[in-house]
Amino acid sequence: MGLREQATDGEVVHAVLAGDVEQYAVLVHRYRDRYARFAARMLGSLDAAEDAVQDALVRAFDQLAQCREPDKFAGWLFLILRNRCFAERRRQTREGRGLEDRDEAVAGPDRPDGNVEQVERTRALEQALVKLTPEQREVFVLKHVEGLAYEEIATMTGATVASLKMRMHRAYDRLRELLKEHS
Amino acid sequence: MRRAALALAIASSGALHLAAQQPDVAARLNGRVPAEVVPAVAGVAASAASRGLPVEPLIQKAIEGGAKGRPAQQVIAAVRALADQLGAASGALRSGGFDHPDADLVEGGAYALGAGLSVRQVQHLARASRPPYEPALTLRVAGTLKALGVPPKNTLDLVEGLINAGGSPSELLDLPSEVQAGVAHGETPAQAADGLARAAAHAPGSGPPGGVPPGQAKGHGNPHKP
Amino acid sequence: MTQAYHQLVKRLLDGELSLSDLPPELRAEGAEALRLLGAVDRTPVLLPLQLDARVMAEVRRRARSPVRRAWRRLVEPRDVELRLRVRPWVVWGGALAAAATVALLLAWPPASPGGTRLVRTAASDSVYVRFVLYAPGAQRVAVAGTFNQWDQNAARLVRLGADGIWTITLALPQGQHQYAFVVDGKRWVPDPAAPGIDDGFGRRNSVVAVTAHGARTL
Repeated sequence: MGLREQATDGEVVHAVLAGDVEQYAVLVHRYRDRYARFAARMLGSLDAAEDAVQDALVRAFDQLAQCREPDKFAGWLFLILRNRCFAERRRQTREGRGLEDRDEAVAGPDRPDGNVEQVERTRALEQALVKLTPEQREVFVLKHVEGLAYEEIATMTGATVASLKMRMHRAYDRLRELLKEHS
Repeated sequence: MRRAALALAIASSGALHLAAQQPDVAARLNGRVPAEVVPAVAGVAASAASRGLPVEPLIQKAIEGGAKGRPAQQVIAAVRALADQLGAASGALRSGGFDHPDADLVEGGAYALGAGLSVRQVQHLARASRPPYEPALTLRVAGTLKALGVPPKNTLDLVEGLINAGGSPSELLDLPSEVQAGVAHGETPAQAADGLARAAAHAPGSGPPGGVPPGQAKGHGNPHKP
Repeated sequence: MTQAYHQLVKRLLDGELSLSDLPPELRAEGAEALRLLGAVDRTPVLLPLQLDARVMAEVRRRARSPVRRAWRRLVEPRDVELRLRVRPWVVWGGALAAAATVALLLAWPPASPGGTRLVRTAASDSVYVRFVLYAPGAQRVAVAGTFNQWDQNAARLVRLGADGIWTITLALPQGQHQYAFVVDGKRWVPDPAAPGIDDGFGRRNSVVAVTAHGARTL
């Protein structure tokens, strides 16, 4: 395949734009799993996450000429994936479908069996998360699942730290309300 | 008859004097608006200047109308309406505690009034904007929120909420986009604004002096490891 | 109606405080909130191995067919400028615009790679802002607004490739600006994705807020 695994993202992008399409596989391999968990949490389903990541990688190829900073391909791919997740959510809303029909596999096959109470709390939280608005869910996932700081999330999404905190705090209250209802 | 002629002579000289002070209006507009617009706008501008109102927005509005190819009467009407709004804004600000509102502030006030906020609301917002917030900016943001469909009370709650929470002027500028994002996700403008206002009331300000950055609370580790 | 968490508890959840930082009367609420977070599932998600092959198969297919690539860009929802989003703007019927695009595709050379590089530096208080409009049938597109005296000759957009995307990057001072696109010198079109304000002539201007972070319309 002639992979240059040590090549920077920028070098690979320029090679692809110059016509060496096969080099795009380097970027696919490099980033296929990075945002998989994010997509799974945003869409509530492993299948939907797979579709979204696949679609985002293809779309990133389509629009590669418009990637403003090729060395920050990851951040740019994230934005494409993020928009794809929001669009999917909008489509589901239009079709009257909630994210409630998630499949159990989103939690991953390797999850160790905790005690029943812990498992139940996790399930309840997952169900509550899908009832947040997409933007509340996004900031919650990025901070508490992906472990990013507000400043990092601000850089990735273009939102300001204060507005992210606003959304997060609304999310906390909403989750508390939803989980109280559940119990 | 003679008295009328005298009155006319006095009035004309007054008008000529004012017109002489505003030669740049005609020069700015000639060729950019229909011919009949020029003297009409020059007259409105002269009157505005004599009341201490900014003239530049009137010229800009005329230029805008000319650029858009609007009919002369429509351009004149728009300029007159804007002059009225500037006058109302100036009056509102003066009686609201601003002795000498500058041109930017008066324009911001006119923008907010034009968007549908009341005199009282404009006064309230301007007074709430202590440094680092510029009242002109606050009024522009509030006007845009109103234009987006956020009801006046919700607009005030949101803008004041952010100011009281210590959000930055940049974050103030971002508010219309935040509301629009909420609307895009199915909220009404009022709901979107309300949610942001509630959160702002609870959210810590961004970077208060001596505040603790996230994740570095007093030597304790992450308090919520799984 | 469940009560909202206390502000200090939210800061606890954000990681700014620890449980012992809370006053005693809030610790129970804080502990409850932490149990909520403790239920978060952080298990990594691994996607099927076949994903790489599927992506590359599609990539190769698209690379082989420039016309097909451009056509897909035409019909899919646009997110070209990921910060300043512009919805597909259709003045004529979609079929007419599509036909015009096909004609353009046959006449124009394939899109060259390497889009405009946007350098977003805040020199003094100016920020570079990129305007994008999707207008496949247009011959000329400009942006006019309060920042250039509504002069439609001051900021002419450039067509990117053959896909009907027009763009320009301008340095704008921070603050709020009104603007509209001017198509073919005569049709003034507000940005469908931006807040709009009455222009005083029975139409609408778009509003963009330029901050140190860049421009936000949506």
